[in-house]
Amino acid sequence: MNVDMARRFDTVTPGVRRVFYAYAVAAAVLTLGAVLHPGFASWTSLRAVLVVAAFTGFVAAGQMLVVLVGGIDLSIPWVLNGAAIVLTTTSLGQSSRLPMALAFALGVGALAGFANGMGVAWLGVPAVVMTLGMNGVLQGLSLGLSKGLTCASCGSYAPQPLRDLFTGGVAGVPAALLVWIGVALLMTVLLTLTTFGRRVYAVGVNSRAAFLSGVGVRGVTVALYTLSGVFAALAGIMLVGYGGQPSLGLGDPYLFESIAAVVVGGVSILGGRGHYLGVVAGSLTLVAVTTFLQAQRVPEYGRLMIYGLVILVILFAYGRDRSHD
Amino acid sequence: MREFMARLRLVPAQAGLGYVVLVATAAAYLVVYTSSLGRFPTSFDYLSILNTMLPLVFVAIGQSLVVLTGGIDLSVGGIVSLCVTVTATTVTGTGLAPFGWLLVVLALGAACGAVNGMIVAVGRIAPILATLATLSIFTGLALWVLPVPGGSIPPVVRNVLSNPNVPTGLIWLGVAVGGWLVLRRTRFGMRVYAIGSDETSARAVGVPAGRVKLGVYALSGLCSALAAIFYVSTTTAGDANAGAPFILTSIASVVVGGVAFTGGRGSALGAVAGAVALTLVIDVLFFAGIDPLYQSLFQGLFLVVAVLLGTAATFLTRRRRATP
Repeated sequence: MNVDMARRFDTVTPGVRRVFYAYAVAAAVLTLGAVLHPGFASWTSLRAVLVVAAFTGFVAAGQMLVVLVGGIDLSIPWVLNGAAIVLTTTSLGQSSRLPMALAFALGVGALAGFANGMGVAWLGVPAVVMTLGMNGVLQGLSLGLSKGLTCASCGSYAPQPLRDLFTGGVAGVPAALLVWIGVALLMTVLLTLTTFGRRVYAVGVNSRAAFLSGVGVRGVTVALYTLSGVFAALAGIMLVGYGGQPSLGLGDPYLFESIAAVVVGGVSILGGRGHYLGVVAGSLTLVAVTTFLQAQRVPEYGRLMIYGLVILVILFAYGRDRSHD
Repeated sequence: MREFMARLRLVPAQAGLGYVVLVATAAAYLVVYTSSLGRFPTSFDYLSILNTMLPLVFVAIGQSLVVLTGGIDLSVGGIVSLCVTVTATTVTGTGLAPFGWLLVVLALGAACGAVNGMIVAVGRIAPILATLATLSIFTGLALWVLPVPGGSIPPVVRNVLSNPNVPTGLIWLGVAVGGWLVLRRTRFGMRVYAIGSDETSARAVGVPAGRVKLGVYALSGLCSALAAIFYVSTTTAGDANAGAPFILTSIASVVVGGVAFTGGRGSALGAVAGAVALTLVIDVLFFAGIDPLYQSLFQGLFLVVAVLLGTAATFLTRRRRATP
C-alpha cells in the first residue's frame, strides 16, 4: 500500500509535487505559529493573514505568468502605485465616477504591461531592462503629474462603495478573499484547461521549439505582460479600497515579495513549470511568517533576517537547480 | 562556425554601447550646464560629480562581474547597507587605526559576497533567488548595527578617500579600472567569460565553475564594501537603508554599459561608463530645469533607449556584414 502510494506520487509531475510542498510549508508555518503564539490560529488572526496574503497573491499572479515564460516584471511597484493614484484622482471619491475610475486604473495597468510585452517580445529588450525602465517611467509620471501627491484632487479618497466592500466584506467574508478565490480559479482554468495555458508552458519550456510548432510566442508574451500589469493595477485598486487613500511607495514592498511568493509557491524561476495554487500557498507562507514575527514583537531587523532565512531554507528544500554533473 | 565568427564580430557594437552613451551624456551635460549658467563647469563641479558617482561605480563593477557569469546580485543593496552602518559606527580614532577598521569592513563585504557565492555555487540556487534572500538578511543585519541613521567618519579618512578639495577619488577610480584590466587577463578573468558564455562547455574543459563563481560573488561583495566606504566618506554619516537604491541603479549601469544579461559579453569598464552616464543624467536633468519629480521618468526612458540603440547598432552591423 505504502509502496503503491509512493509510486503514485512519483508519477505526479515535479510541478504538481512542488505545489504539495508549498502547502506543506504553509501548513507547517501556520501550525508552528499556533503552537508558539496562542491566538495565532484564531479566525480573526487567520482572516487578517488571508486578507494581507490576498494582496501579495494578486501581484504574484502577474509575476508568475511572466516568470512562466522565463521573464520577470520589475515594474510592479509603480504600476500598482500609479493605478492606485489614478483611481482616487479620477473618482474624486464620488460613487458615480467609480466605474470610470476602475476602468482607467485597470487601463493604466494594461497599457504599461502591454508596453512591457511589446518591448520584450518585439524589440528584444531584456525583460529586466524593459520592466525596470517602465517602473522608472511610471514613477516619474505618477510623481510628476500628481506633483508629489499634492495636487488638488490627490487628497480624495476611494469612493465609499469600494471602501465598504473591502473594509466590510460580503456576508462576513472579506471581499479581498472573494476576489482572490476568483483570481485563483481564473488562473488555474486559464493555465491548465485552455489552449492559451498550454502555449504558455510550451513557450516557458522552450520558446524556440514552441515557435517552430506554431505557437505565436510574441503574442503569448505580450498577453502575459499585459495580464501582469492588470493584476498589479488590481492590487493597487484593492489596497486603496482597503486603506482609503494611496501613498507614495505603496507598491515598493511588493516587488521582491511577489518574486519570493512565486518561487516559494514552487514555480521554477527558469520558466515552464509551476501552478498558481502553489503561489497561493507561497503568499500565505510569506505573510504568515511576517505576521507571526510581528505578533511576537520581533524587531524589524530580526524580521528581515528570519524572513530571508526562511526563504533560503525553502529554496534549499525544493527550489534548487539541477546539478551540472 | 561562420555564424560563430559573425557573432564574435558583433561584440564591439554592443560592448561599445557604454562609451557611446557616456560621451553623449557628457556632451549633453556640458551643453546644458553652459547654456543654463553661462560658463563652463568648474573643477569644483567635476570634483563633486566624481565624489557622488564613486559608490555607484564600485557597485557597478561588482555587479558586472556577476552578470558576466550569467548571474545577478540583488544583495548588493544589503551588503552596501551593512558595510555603511559598520563603517559609520566602528571607523574611529586617529592615525592608522581607522584604516585598519576599513580593512575589516572590506573583509566583511567579501565574506557576505562569499556567502552568496556558496549558496549559488554549492547550493545550486538561482542567483536572483539566492541574493534576494540574502538581501533581506544583510539589510536586517544593517538595521541591527545602526537602527537609526547616524554615526560619523574621521576627517583623516575623508581626506584620503573623497577629499572635497583634491580629486583623490581619481586615484581610487584608477585603481579600480587598473584592477579590472589586470583581472581580465588572468586565468580567473578568462574563466569568468568562459562560464558566462557556456557553463556546460566550460565545465567540460575543466573550468572549476563553482570556485570561480564563489570568487565572483566575493569580489562583488568586496566592491559593495568599497562603495559603502566611499558613501560614508562622502555623506559623513551612515544609514541602514543607504544601499537599497544601488540594487536597481547598479543593474541599470551594467545594462547601459553593454554587458549582456545572458553572460559572457561586455566588460566592467562598460559598466563604469554606464554608472558615470547614469550619474551625469541626473545633473543634465537638473541643469535643464526639469522638475525633479520627473527625474525617474527620464532615467527609465534613458535606460530603455540606451539598450534599444545598442540593439539597433547590433542589427545594423549584422545587416552590413551579411551583405558584403
